[in-house]
Amino acid sequence: MKQVLETTGLVCPFPLVEAKDAMQTLESGDELVINFDCTQATESIPQWAAESGYPVTHFDRTGDASWTITVQKA
Amino acid sequence: MIVTGLVVGLVLGFVFQRGRFCVTGAFRDLTLTGNTRWFSALIVLIAVHSAGLFLLGTLGVITLEESAFPWLASILGGLIFGFSMVLAGGCATGTYYRAGEGLVGSWFALIFYALVAAVMKTGPGAELTTGLRSITVENGTLQSSTGLSPWVFVAVIAAIAIALTVHHRRKQTVPLATLPPRKTGIAHLLTEKRWNPFATAAVIGVIATIAWPLSAATGRNSGLGITTPSANLSTYLTTGDSSLIDWGVMLVIGILVGSFIAAKASGEFRIRIPDKDTVIKSILGGTGMGVGAAIAGGCTVGNAMVSTAQFEYQGWVATFFMIVGAGIAVKTTIRTRQQTAAPAVAESRSA
Repeated sequence: MKQVLETTGLVCPFPLVEAKDAMQTLESGDELVINFDCTQATESIPQWAAESGYPVTHFDRTGDASWTITVQKA
Repeated sequence: MIVTGLVVGLVLGFVFQRGRFCVTGAFRDLTLTGNTRWFSALIVLIAVHSAGLFLLGTLGVITLEESAFPWLASILGGLIFGFSMVLAGGCATGTYYRAGEGLVGSWFALIFYALVAAVMKTGPGAELTTGLRSITVENGTLQSSTGLSPWVFVAVIAAIAIALTVHHRRKQTVPLATLPPRKTGIAHLLTEKRWNPFATAAVIGVIATIAWPLSAATGRNSGLGITTPSANLSTYLTTGDSSLIDWGVMLVIGILVGSFIAAKASGEFRIRIPDKDTVIKSILGGTGMGVGAAIAGGCTVGNAMVSTAQFEYQGWVATFFMIVGAGIAVKTTIRTRQQTAAPAVAESRSA
């Protein structure tokens, strides 16, 4: 299952705070697609994923200062 | 040659933006997530800057002046600043470079910060600021109160910085996910690649060191600073007194422009209009940062990077209380939002 978390417009740390919240509701193997436009989250979300042992299955730009990252719950 | 301030500012703004260097994040993480990574990077920055400053001092290139320790102002100003920077979503420098990235919320924070810093330094609040800062104890530095060589403390902080770097390197077992590269060579390195926080911190430490003699050559014997220059800039803009345009004013203008260049070149500039809650928080945060930084005698740059590197009590005490203030803001502002925002977090879609 894939869940989409729209955080565009939120400044740091809220994209990550909300991503952590949303992740708690997911089952192992589910994916969370996080759309964000806070630059610092390009560092903090991959860092959180790596530290939590969650694989990142997709990470790309969606436009100027807009990104999408897909983190799988493991 | 105050134009060197502009050049240092441009480089610094560029490095801050590309490195995502955020002291607010570093202090906030200590309470919010318990993550010490960015805080450790700050220690690396202080260690590099410290070694650089005392090297220049020993060589006679610069003269480091000793002053008394305004303890009450450091505590109070640090608390107010730390709380406010979490509200504003970035410290003074963070606000400058986010403003350069096109975040309109940061424009509000920046304007109120620069205005209120002037109010508290030369305006009607100056009496309160001076009063608080006149409550001091003698011997404002570790080296003056212990009688030891500052190199002892340089060695200690360098050892701590190395230990923290090694610790975080070992902890990082999985490589971080990165964006698919679209550029090559120098363009990739400067305007696309992810910068390691520890490398960014070391680079900022070097820039901060170079800044001092360049600033001193223009008659401003101090290093990087954001608050007094910001206050000077707003006073100049409202009075036309061009004697206020010094190396520091050029520096902060450079940071704003440098971060804009970095963001634009990296496809990371976009005008972003915040919601009303963020606007209010930005204004309150900017105002509080102006008050706090004026009282504490510096922001996360002047106090947490430069004063700490000189082993001044003011820098370390203000930094400690900024962390406390940030912690209070995390508990009272971020967690609350998390709870209220939680039910409406996301829409579910099946893949």
